[in-house]
Amino acid sequence: MNKIQITIIVILLAALLAFPQFITSESVLNLAVYVLLYVSIASSWNVLGGFAGQTNLGHAAFFGVGALVTRMLWFAGWNIFASMVIGALVAVVLALIIGVPAFRLRGVYFAIGTLALSQILLITVGNTFSTISSIPTEDLKVYSLVPRYYMFLGVALLTIVTAYVLLNSRFGLGITAVREEEDAAESLGVSALKYKMLAFGISAFFGGLTGGAFAFYHVGYYPQLTFGPEWTFDSMMMAYIGGVGTIVGPVIGAVFFVVLREFLALRFAEFHLIIFGVLFILVVLFLPDGFMGIWEKIRKRLLRRSK
Amino acid sequence: MPLLKIEGLCKSFGGLKAVNDVSFDVAEGEIVGLIGPNGSGKTTLLNLLTGFLKPDAGLITFQGQNITGYARSNICPTGIARTFQLVKPFLGFTALQNVMVGRVFGRESTQDLKRAAEESKASLERVGLVDKANMLAKDLTLMQRKRLELARALAAKPQLLLLDELMAGLNVSEADEVCNLILNIRDSKITILIIEHIVKAITTLSDRVVVLNMGTKIAEGAPMEIIHNPQVIDVYLGRARA
Ligand SMILES: Nc1ncnc2c1ncn2[C@@H]1O[C@H](COP(=O)(O)OP(=O)(O)OP(=O)(O)O)[C@@H](O)[C@H]1O
Ligand SMILES: [Mg+2]
Repeated sequence: MNKIQITIIVILLAALLAFPQFITSESVLNLAVYVLLYVSIASSWNVLGGFAGQTNLGHAAFFGVGALVTRMLWFAGWNIFASMVIGALVAVVLALIIGVPAFRLRGVYFAIGTLALSQILLITVGNTFSTISSIPTEDLKVYSLVPRYYMFLGVALLTIVTAYVLLNSRFGLGITAVREEEDAAESLGVSALKYKMLAFGISAFFGGLTGGAFAFYHVGYYPQLTFGPEWTFDSMMMAYIGGVGTIVGPVIGAVFFVVLREFLALRFAEFHLIIFGVLFILVVLFLPDGFMGIWEKIRKRLLRRSK
Repeated sequence: MPLLKIEGLCKSFGGLKAVNDVSFDVAEGEIVGLIGPNGSGKTTLLNLLTGFLKPDAGLITFQGQNITGYARSNICPTGIARTFQLVKPFLGFTALQNVMVGRVFGRESTQDLKRAAEESKASLERVGLVDKANMLAKDLTLMQRKRLELARALAAKPQLLLLDELMAGLNVSEADEVCNLILNIRDSKITILIIEHIVKAITTLSDRVVVLNMGTKIAEGAPMEIIHNPQVIDVYLGRARA
């Protein structure tokens, strides 16, 4: 990272930390919470979907498991941080259990397999926990948005920093090599299965942690909500629109997605789904590197011109 | 003790015996040529040696260690690196990143990416690609990709290098360059098993030649013996000349 990038990051961080001190509007704060939530879940999806190139269509399962376990433990009187970490670890265990058979499936079959898993969980949870899960009244009296905002900020930063460190490490070189050309990577000593499992575990951990933050944030919802396929597909679309496999891509994608959704939903109700669907298809077809790809192209042009 | 010992190696695909009871040794410091008509089992043999295929029978011993049936990702760390007949670069990586994978995960695996990058540059230098270090592999020509594949394998610091038709698809002067490169690699104490169709390249490079036909070893010996062997002329050289 160069000086300009570090300066931008420091300013952004300061602004994000100070944000609730200046903004008191609940709707703006809620919007910020959703931006941070999507930054986290899209970045966590990206660790497997982007770095490893394994299109996971069941990410909602990990978000949902994280939320479910966190909610149960927290309501049972556990500390919220401990509850979230355990929720995330349960998501990791789930990923490692299904990882071995799932990675035998390649390409589209891996995608279908993971989608099937999350749909099975969606139905099972819907049948098992059929009543609404609400924060108890005595806790609701002291409910405040600001600590929720900071919780999501913490999860988002942790996810991004971890993803950054991973991508620039030996692990990052190995897992992206597996994505680019698995045979060659293995012939040079990279164990594809081991690295995919690691990526899957890390992806599930942060997906689960984001789910935990959601459980801490949301006042009342059916547990099934957190297992819905939209969590997966939204994450994937954000990662692709911003730039799959990069660190900044899912962040930009998430901001763009939430802001545009807010803007469109105010006017056209569910219309944003169609817009995003079409946008996603266009990006996959014509801009495989997303917004980050456009930015790279512009930057290269400018560099060439300044020479 | 030979560096590599192959004993009674067999591999069938359905009813087809792609490699049939093949045995030979490779001594340290040698260049051994492996030749044979199309479909005679050369690549299959190489895949058996590198864990890409599991043998039905037979024994592979490398440096006295039984490596038969090793997982393919465990072969390179023990000191055997390979190239692919159809090159398999990491297309979205730069040339340097391609080579770094070999350096970081190969025989002297390391966490130190900075040092790995420096040493990978040296590998690129060796194959004459250092000025392309920051180019993406997908923007390289076939000749450059072949060199890249070689640099990547070298960066893994192998004791044994397996080359599968590195010269195929190159013109005469390019092939000559690759020949010199291979001799240069042997001089750095790396043993080489080379599959090649160009007879001139095999005879000038190899200390010894093994000939396969329909999965079976039909001859083994010095290059001059091999090109005058009637059976070899019959199944391979004769056809190649015709
Ligand atoms: N994975 C596979 N499944 C089924 N048959 C295979 C497989 N790999 C190779 N074969 C068959 O085994 C035989 C030997 O193939 P191999 O690729 O080893 O030949 P080769 O000597 O390398 O030929 P070439 O000079 O054309 O590269 C061929 O008949 C081929 O069709
Ligand atoms: Mg072959």
